[in-house]
Amino acid sequence: MTKPLSIKNLVKNFGGLTATDDISFDLNEGQSTGLIGPNGAGKTTIFSQIMGEYRQTSGTIELYGTEISKLSTPARIRLGVSRTYQVPRPFAEFTVLENVRVGLMPDSIWKMITESPNVDREIELALSVGFSESDLRRTPDELSMGDLRKLEMARTMATNPRIMLLDEVFAGLTVGEIDQIAKLIQKMRSENMTFLIVSHDLKALEPLVDDAIAINYGKVIAQGSFASVISDKAVRTSYLGT
Amino acid sequence: MGLGLRWYHFALWAGFILVMALMPEFVSKGTLRTMIFANFLAIFAISWDVLSGRTGYISFGHPFLIGIGAYTTAILTKRFDVPVEYAIPAAIAMTMVGGTIMFLPALRIKGSYFALVSLAFMELIYQLVQVIRPDLTGGTRGMSGIVTLTRGAANGYYLSFSLMIIVALSMWLLMRTRLGTALSAIAMNEESVKGSGLSPTKLKLFAFMTSAFVAGLGGAFYVHYLGSIAPRALFDINFVFTIIVATLIGGASTIVGPMFGAFFLTFLLEYLRPFLPGAERYLIYGAIALLLYMYQPKGLYHIFMSQLDRFKKSGDDD
Repeated sequence: MTKPLSIKNLVKNFGGLTATDDISFDLNEGQSTGLIGPNGAGKTTIFSQIMGEYRQTSGTIELYGTEISKLSTPARIRLGVSRTYQVPRPFAEFTVLENVRVGLMPDSIWKMITESPNVDREIELALSVGFSESDLRRTPDELSMGDLRKLEMARTMATNPRIMLLDEVFAGLTVGEIDQIAKLIQKMRSENMTFLIVSHDLKALEPLVDDAIAINYGKVIAQGSFASVISDKAVRTSYLGT
Repeated sequence: MGLGLRWYHFALWAGFILVMALMPEFVSKGTLRTMIFANFLAIFAISWDVLSGRTGYISFGHPFLIGIGAYTTAILTKRFDVPVEYAIPAAIAMTMVGGTIMFLPALRIKGSYFALVSLAFMELIYQLVQVIRPDLTGGTRGMSGIVTLTRGAANGYYLSFSLMIIVALSMWLLMRTRLGTALSAIAMNEESVKGSGLSPTKLKLFAFMTSAFVAGLGGAFYVHYLGSIAPRALFDINFVFTIIVATLIGGASTIVGPMFGAFFLTFLLEYLRPFLPGAERYLIYGAIALLLYMYQPKGLYHIFMSQLDRFKKSGDDD
């Protein structure tokens, strides 16, 4: 059966620095995988290569059996992969609804002009991530970090992904906000969404993933169940410092 | 299409068109001539707004586009006796080619770098029209005796106003669609536009082409109103700033704002003329633009809209 995401021998060099060094892994349909490692290990660089924001030096990335290395970011998103960013990137002057609207737009100028925005779907998405009716007309400068992450999730979900890459999804959140985002991820897992999640908050991450991949200096150092990965000696030495 | 139109939109546009259509009955020929210039400035400001006001790619070289439109139709009609009805569409097409050329640097650069490159485009065409085939372009002296489309202030006014209102209405409607939202999103965060599954390249190309279409249309009709073309006046930094200040005073990214900004600025400059006949006038309008910008960076349009909102709210309270 075709894997939603299959990465083989991924190498990315920035001049003399090798950010990802022969990385290979697969994601199965509906599987949720944690991607962990210390700062600078290469986690976000892997995301950027999957999305086409960086082109890999060598190796292949397949989405549902299609080699995507030569595709643009929007083309990859149309194939069903989407990501959030470590630092949320909202459209600063747009309201919550307008931010979600951009994610829902078709990549066709003709359709943008001739078709009406699907306001019901915009509201549904915004409410599904935990916004209240009164938040919908708010602009990002009126939102907390937790709300900005929810907004990022909603806009990502609007692109109709089958695989979601979540980057430091709990960073800067309160306990209550972490709980809210975690519930949302759990809900999407129950709907068979495939996840690759980067987080330094291992306690929050553990219940959300089926397995984990640990990397350091751009190399995979452990892979398997979450418990086995975090108890791995190499992982503890490099990542946890114990 | 989801334009979100309300009854008062129709009422405001209809009222504006009616008032403007009756102007020749009530104002002097001198005022009408000022209004003709305001109409053309409004067209140029709307063209600038579609590109720079929306996408944030600030163009300091808009006369490059206007000039292509103006020179193409001037050369075709004067040197090759091409009828105006063919020359103007050809001029618009050529301007869109120019828009595509101007778009190419925007694939790689943005911000102040793009602004400077666009300024270089204007300088380039300014130098080129003077040295390349002056027998066609008229060199440094430009061209005169170009066929005019109207006679008399009233006819000139009706033509320029019709053009301006068609451009303003069509651009206003276009920017109320999701396309307008997507173009504004580019100015806010181009990477997030890409991350939302949209191609910024496609959107920017559309903005450049649309802006070029409007600039070419305005430039071509402007030259057939004046009956002459002078490179020094057209490719002048003051002309660029007049377009930009008109847009900013009125309210960038609103289409309606640049239209009102153009009228405000043209009449301001005109009324200052008896007191300050020289370039000092630009100091005054610069100061007014600065003050307005400090008070309301989003321009006259937003001042008007906030008053309208306040009026609507007080009506609701009553």
